[in-house]
Amino acid sequence: MLGGILDDLLTSPSTGPCITATRHFPARPPVLVPLPSSLDPRIAEALRARGMGELYSHQARAWELIEKGHHVVVVTPTASGKTLCYNLPALQALVHQPDARVLYLFPTKALAQDQLAELEALARQLPEMRMFTYDGDTPQDARRAVRARANLVLTNPDMLHSGILPHHTKWATLFQNLRYVVIDELHAYRGVFGSHLANVLRRLRRICRHYGSTPQFIMASATIANPGELARRLTGEPVEEITESGAPTGDKVFLCYNPPVVNKELGIRAPYLGESAKLALRFLQEKIATIIFAQSRLATEVLLTAIKSGVADKTGDSGIVRGYRGGYLPTRRRAVEKGLREGEVLGVVSTNALELGVDIGHLDVAVLAGYPGGIASLWQQAGRAGRRSGRSAALFVATSAPLDQFMVTHPEYLFGTPPEHARVNPNNPFILVNHLKCAAFELPIGDEERFGELDVRRFLAALDDEGVLHHTGSRWHWAAETYPADHVSLRTVTTDNFVVIDTTARDEKQTKRRQIIAEVDWGSAFATIYPKAIYLVESEPYEVQELHFREDEEKVAYVKRVNVDYFTDAISAKGVWILQRLADQSRSAYVAEQGEVLVAEKVVGFKKIKMGTLENVGSGEVELPQQEMQTTSVWLTVPPDTLARVSPSREELIDGLRAVTYLLHHLAPIFLLCDIRDLGSWLGDTTPATSGAVATRESAKRRLMEAEQFNPTIYLYDSHAGGIGLAEHLFDILPDLLRRGLETLDACACQAGCPSCVGPVNEVGRRAKSTARALLTALTD
Amino acid sequence: MAAHSLDDLRRVIRRIETRRPKRPAPAPIEEVLGGELVDTGAGPLLVVRREFPLSHQHGRQRLGAALEAPLDLLSAMTRAEQPLADARRLLFLDAETTGLAGGTGTYAFLVGAAWLEEDRLVLTQHFMRDFDEEPALLAALKPLLERASGLVTFNGSTFDLPLLETRFIMARGRWPAAMPHLDLLRPARRVWASCFADCRLATLEREVIGLVRGDDIPGGFIPALYFDYLRSRRAAPLARVLAHNRDDVLTLVGLLAWFGGALTTSETLTPAELGGLGRLWEPVDLERALACYRGALDAGLAGEPAQAIRLHLARWEKRLARWDVACSLWEEAKRQAGFDPRPWEELAKFHEHRRRDFVTARAVVEDALGLAEAAGAPLRTVGAFTHRLGRLERRMTSAAGPPSPPRG
Repeated sequence: MLGGILDDLLTSPSTGPCITATRHFPARPPVLVPLPSSLDPRIAEALRARGMGELYSHQARAWELIEKGHHVVVVTPTASGKTLCYNLPALQALVHQPDARVLYLFPTKALAQDQLAELEALARQLPEMRMFTYDGDTPQDARRAVRARANLVLTNPDMLHSGILPHHTKWATLFQNLRYVVIDELHAYRGVFGSHLANVLRRLRRICRHYGSTPQFIMASATIANPGELARRLTGEPVEEITESGAPTGDKVFLCYNPPVVNKELGIRAPYLGESAKLALRFLQEKIATIIFAQSRLATEVLLTAIKSGVADKTGDSGIVRGYRGGYLPTRRRAVEKGLREGEVLGVVSTNALELGVDIGHLDVAVLAGYPGGIASLWQQAGRAGRRSGRSAALFVATSAPLDQFMVTHPEYLFGTPPEHARVNPNNPFILVNHLKCAAFELPIGDEERFGELDVRRFLAALDDEGVLHHTGSRWHWAAETYPADHVSLRTVTTDNFVVIDTTARDEKQTKRRQIIAEVDWGSAFATIYPKAIYLVESEPYEVQELHFREDEEKVAYVKRVNVDYFTDAISAKGVWILQRLADQSRSAYVAEQGEVLVAEKVVGFKKIKMGTLENVGSGEVELPQQEMQTTSVWLTVPPDTLARVSPSREELIDGLRAVTYLLHHLAPIFLLCDIRDLGSWLGDTTPATSGAVATRESAKRRLMEAEQFNPTIYLYDSHAGGIGLAEHLFDILPDLLRRGLETLDACACQAGCPSCVGPVNEVGRRAKSTARALLTALTD
Repeated sequence: MAAHSLDDLRRVIRRIETRRPKRPAPAPIEEVLGGELVDTGAGPLLVVRREFPLSHQHGRQRLGAALEAPLDLLSAMTRAEQPLADARRLLFLDAETTGLAGGTGTYAFLVGAAWLEEDRLVLTQHFMRDFDEEPALLAALKPLLERASGLVTFNGSTFDLPLLETRFIMARGRWPAAMPHLDLLRPARRVWASCFADCRLATLEREVIGLVRGDDIPGGFIPALYFDYLRSRRAAPLARVLAHNRDDVLTLVGLLAWFGGALTTSETLTPAELGGLGRLWEPVDLERALACYRGALDAGLAGEPAQAIRLHLARWEKRLARWDVACSLWEEAKRQAGFDPRPWEELAKFHEHRRRDFVTARAVVEDALGLAEAAGAPLRTVGAFTHRLGRLERRMTSAAGPPSPPRG
């Protein structure tokens, strides 16, 4: 059945030409080895009882290295049995030494629950197993019991950071006897989250040292370029890598699909969301289990609407296709996961929330609506389709963005590029300083002590100077009334989440029940639940009535169910200002600098976009506070003489520079091997901010037009506060990036600009592409 | 990394913290505060020692009365895991800390301890002049803990003791976790919850002990004063902290003395306290508790506290099947100003289910409904009475004979 549809896709005149590449990954048999002789017979028995009389080669290799005392990271594909790599040593330790303790860390509470269930199934017949989750969901009155009884604790970094380490005396037995620390989904700890985790682990190791234990780290990761390096950066220890999987895989086909061009002159292709929905429906209508990955919350809802109506038309039941994303409430997500495992749900439209190892069983087809922003994510998402035997397929549907178009037209790059480096910067000063405060709170820091490998004395001196630490008797003590971990969130800038409350029923029935339908984190709240926004939950539209965001009130959005055929897209205003220059390189044609900037953003309005046709059908204004962030950036200023050589028209130059900004921002991730969302861009100037006033695209252009001094500056900044090292790297490769930009521009077949090079012509202006070419030529001279 | 020089770091940190002003540094603390530096075996520690005769009056309380407190009774009343015994070996403890956050970064920088010794109360305050004197402070507490038969604190079970336990574990010491402990907050809540706006130590001290502190420092300012001292070394402002802690410890003794008096003779109690005392007696001696409730009502307790006690007492009488007493309490309760549905409901139940006198039950419910509607009672209340009325009427038509004789 699957084969038939694939053949049809490849050969039909409507779809065949859109398929730019096909890769076939043949089935691979398992590499099996006998159970290790040192494995406790009771555990061996439990394995045999579950039909595992042998191990895959990577599982055996992990056993061997861990037994020798190495720290280990296992990097193998989805569903290759990597959990057994850490479960076996953990169980063995507990069977032999009931006093030993093991700590499991998962990035989410749901994964910890999944793993507890799996462990319990395996350990049912084993003695002395006292396994518990300990996280925000653990009731207060159960916590004491868990602390006293558990010898295997499953938790998450956030809980370790704010609930366990600052109370380590209550966990003294655990820290005295800590044998293994297991970190699953290691690849999730990149960027800000990873930089935080590295510091949390520095704190964990300090506490272990205090109690006299030296735990061994066992880690598991999806495929990334540098699992060993990431593991070493996170743990601060030498780590052995295991990358050869001995698990079998079924036959798999990967297709690249570029939506057909519908307007050649404007370079406009058929909307990728519509194409993705059509493709997914081909499979769903034949009852083939399919997962569709969308790249944003909004795209998820738009796709879900399209697919549900498609399924409803043909098979009369749309409940078999569900949505899945971070903002949904846990109960709703658990229900979808269960439905998928048990086969009641046939299809799911998801954001990257399902990239992680949440157990949803096996699916046959993965449709990737848009490049997920990274090679590692691409393979993670594609890997959601696939069984240990039998055929599966993955389809990548390109958007018209330059990155997607580059990938879909350069399949050799797509298939040949190693996955991204997971970058962490544990020494980001914002992050580091916050964790030093937590560390001092946990245990005074000695004069000669290092934090990880780092000499932190000057940081400590600065904190003393500020009155939070106090130095005495050759140690730095916490000397403030606060609980520092409460003020540090490992994932976002603030810990506040908004709850979305449906008031539809409240008005009708006069009830005061709080019907919470979703949660939105602080970072994205202003762009998604501003007043009058249409907020979609499983493609049901709700209109936001009120948003409560003041510091002294509960963060709530009140919404009401509405019947509309449009959704809304936020219009934001922005500003970037230089705080400090740290490095510069002057060339004849431009000045490039790197340093710290202030980025301010503000949602000022929204567009109404019709479902289905995606046409603009209206707009509105919004009054919300400005959000500010300090981060690291590269900026490039083009001096007047270079500009004069390109064009006499200031407006043309602005359009051209905007085009260059767009192109550089969209190309940079390929060379930095990062996600496009890790970077931000802006065309401003180097005049210091006087008012700090943000500007929309239009007003920013006007401002540049009217400026006395015309110093247009292209900013490419790290979108994580404090930076995770991208700006420094970008500074180094800037000349190369400019050259690649020119190449890409020359290679693009459109006439005057399209989403695949400098942006759509109707946004950037008719002469933008040629001006951009002239500019890039001047800059690369 | 963005910031490289010390100046950058300072700038970064300044964005996170608010800057504290610096002060000039002067004179040694033992001169300013009194007390002496004691060698604890783990370094020197400032210890301020005071002695009080047992006849000393702390507010209205004589300290020596604490000796007479029935500890076994109090232990039973507060359901203590380990019962207290031997009042002469009790250790009264109160800690001043660097914050209320808890966790390993909160220090107890001043621990006040008091115990009885022959004919006097000895109160010692242990103060660490800096964080590195914590081992000395813990070492000084150790012998006091070892010779104590039990601890007396106020809110110690959730605050002072876990915090001290954390400090001992941090210093790799042993904390006597199984030591009998009387947290006076527990009985205090039972007795005074309905008397005062809150049950803070300061409130009880003012209202119960009758002590008015002159120039007391509010507890919330104490951590900041200590941090200021660490930086400025100016000890004078700490005198108020020591006085505050000393009064806290004496009030512990005074409160225990109060309980001793209240549990042996209840003559001096206010009606409200008498009612509260009933709650304390309840788990130990029910008849004595009920006598307290009756005493409180007889002594003229009025208003909502009286109504609560009246209904509470009636519920016990009902459970003990002393129906006449219960009924007269409900009758009295329903005569109170303002409409209270509870006695009406109880009386209706009594007549309907117990006496099977549907006519009287209906009369009660009809009266209640009339009053409820007049008083603008919530829909739910009116609905409940309406429902009851409907059922009574059905029962009256179906039981078209004479009412069956009352049971039991």
